[in-house]
Amino acid sequence: MPPEFVYTPDSLLRRPRFLLWTMWRDLLASRELAWRLMVRDISAQYRQAALGIAWAFIPPVAMAVGFTLAKDANVFTVGETDIPYPAFVMFNTALWQTFVDAATGPVQAVIIAKPMLARVNFPREAIILAKLGEVGFNFGIKLILIVGLFLFFRVPVSWTVILAPVALIHLVLLGTLVGILLAPIGVLYQDVSKSLNMIMGFWLFLTPVIYPVPTEGAFGMLVSLNPVAPLLVTTRELATTGVLTEAVSFWVVSGLTLLGLLLTWIGFRIAMPYVVERVTS
Amino acid sequence: MTIRLNTESLTESFMATPEPDSQPVISVEGVSKKFCRDLRRSLFYGVRDIAADLTGGRPHSDRLRPQEFWALKDISFQLHRGQAVGLVGSNGAGKSTLLRIISGLIKPDTGRVRVRGRLAPLIALGAGFNPILTGRENIYANMSILGLTTQQIKQRFHEVVEFAEIEDAIDAPVQTYSSGMAARLGFACAIYTEPNILLIDEVLAVGDARFKAKCYRRLYELRQRGVAFILVNHNSQAILNICDQAIYLTRGALVTQGEVNAVVDHYERDLFLNSIERSENRMVFPPKAAAESNGIDFRDLFFRDGDGQLTQTLSTGEPVSLCATCEAHDSYSGVALDLRIAKVGGIESAGYVLSLRGQNDDTFFHLSPGLAEIRLQLPYLGLVPGVYSAQIRLRKDAVYTFDVVESFRFTVTSRQNVNKCQFYQPHSWALVPVVTPVSARQPLP
Repeated sequence: MPPEFVYTPDSLLRRPRFLLWTMWRDLLASRELAWRLMVRDISAQYRQAALGIAWAFIPPVAMAVGFTLAKDANVFTVGETDIPYPAFVMFNTALWQTFVDAATGPVQAVIIAKPMLARVNFPREAIILAKLGEVGFNFGIKLILIVGLFLFFRVPVSWTVILAPVALIHLVLLGTLVGILLAPIGVLYQDVSKSLNMIMGFWLFLTPVIYPVPTEGAFGMLVSLNPVAPLLVTTRELATTGVLTEAVSFWVVSGLTLLGLLLTWIGFRIAMPYVVERVTS
Repeated sequence: MTIRLNTESLTESFMATPEPDSQPVISVEGVSKKFCRDLRRSLFYGVRDIAADLTGGRPHSDRLRPQEFWALKDISFQLHRGQAVGLVGSNGAGKSTLLRIISGLIKPDTGRVRVRGRLAPLIALGAGFNPILTGRENIYANMSILGLTTQQIKQRFHEVVEFAEIEDAIDAPVQTYSSGMAARLGFACAIYTEPNILLIDEVLAVGDARFKAKCYRRLYELRQRGVAFILVNHNSQAILNICDQAIYLTRGALVTQGEVNAVVDHYERDLFLNSIERSENRMVFPPKAAAESNGIDFRDLFFRDGDGQLTQTLSTGEPVSLCATCEAHDSYSGVALDLRIAKVGGIESAGYVLSLRGQNDDTFFHLSPGLAEIRLQLPYLGLVPGVYSAQIRLRKDAVYTFDVVESFRFTVTSRQNVNKCQFYQPHSWALVPVVTPVSARQPLP
């Protein structure tokens, strides 16, 4: 019996069980396609770059060198860090970059896939999954840098490092949530991708990447409201000292992230046909 | 028969439906779609639709908002297994929109679409091709987008490469391919997804004539195997060749649907003004004002027999002239007639059976203002019995086209039996008595 599809103008939200079932079905169906797309994107990513995979290392190293020089010259002062400052910056930058990749990836991927979206009805989840895989792959490469860094600076590692990937996944999922939320609007309005860089720059400023978590003042208040902070800090702490300073906010943010991800996914599915209809006619 | 007209009598539908299982593979019921031409407003409506859908549904999706128009209005039809329907209509008639709703890319604003079976859009040649990756990598990416598993792609890989004829270049980046090669690869990927339903949108123009013929052959094979088609093409010849049914859309509204010849006729009548008179093997055109004309216009296309008398019956092997009465609005020299004839229907119809061009024969005419008749004299009509469609152009110096008739259809009959061959050869038989036997050793004079 061939599969049957019915297309009507009605909102899928009126049939929640059918909606959840199709979401699950498409997620399963998109695994292989996602893998293909990821292989395609990763191979294309480095093939036309003379420096190849080195591009995964360059940004964190450049950040670390810059900020370490600036700190040594007393351009700015930061509090005491648990691990040597260059390692601190480089590790945090790698984590932050991974979050940014996860947040901007879906928007860019959906925009690039526009011609494909407009012509073929494939599970749209595949684009997001492929991007997630790419984020993981790029982090894997950065991991080589981080391991080298830890050895070089003799950073003490706690047994809790085996839990660090869990926190990292939550960080990536939070980024993905932001990405999926913005992707449909990003296809319609260029304002999204135009402003995304600026927002990420400002967000970096509010995240304890180049400085340890501030505890006082209005700035400390702002940083404590930043959902990325507990996830990023917890990942770093799990990988190094093993002493968690933000455990409660970590779990609150993680819970909200998972719930939010499910909701944005539903929104994404519902929004995509309208987006496709507006971009190409 | 693909489509059952709502108004058609039941008996005809029954007679026409060869399949006992009459579940249609596609059924479109009262589908409408509205669009907006103003970009900003269109985007804004998009956001509003998303918001409305997220809050449980769009009330009044059947009403137009300011600056919107119906890109499709209340379209219904059904498509059964192994049947082919052509969508005809001028640009902006809503043909592509209809295909996109059927493939589930966009939601209808009213009505409902049911699709049974795997549907492959040939709208999307080379979707997801990345120019810096090799042909091999792109086949895998493209075919998985079209819904195949890696296992299935592996099985079909060789067939795809063979069909696309790119064995030598399979490991070279696609950006080094010629446009024809890339198009062939895209077509091969799409056609080997083994769909139950194929949606074909203006893509049969890929590659050279030989590859085109190969594509048609493949489509023909697929149809024999029960694949259903929806074909969109501006060229009515392609529709006539492949489809048995057609749907004619104008500005989103369904004008007529049914048997392909009748629908295409209707479409062409509307396309070339309403007043073209089409009778058996003849087409008469109304006069054009000088402002509308490109210099010279066709006024009448017909045939004359060996005695120069107007005739409406064409017989294989008989002398005949194709005559074109032209009206010139000025004096022109270097005028030549181009003629291409294709057979309608059947598998061998992929190319032209006959192509005659005045410029190839160095035959140019000088036309003075007024009426003149250009005659193409054929001492024997070489076409075998059947229905043919001729494209006729009036040109100047091979670059400028005064007027063109896309499809002048005529029927050839025969008094002799020439059924089992592709062309008629004028011939005669003779019995000659031999006086001295010809020896093989003897040199020929």
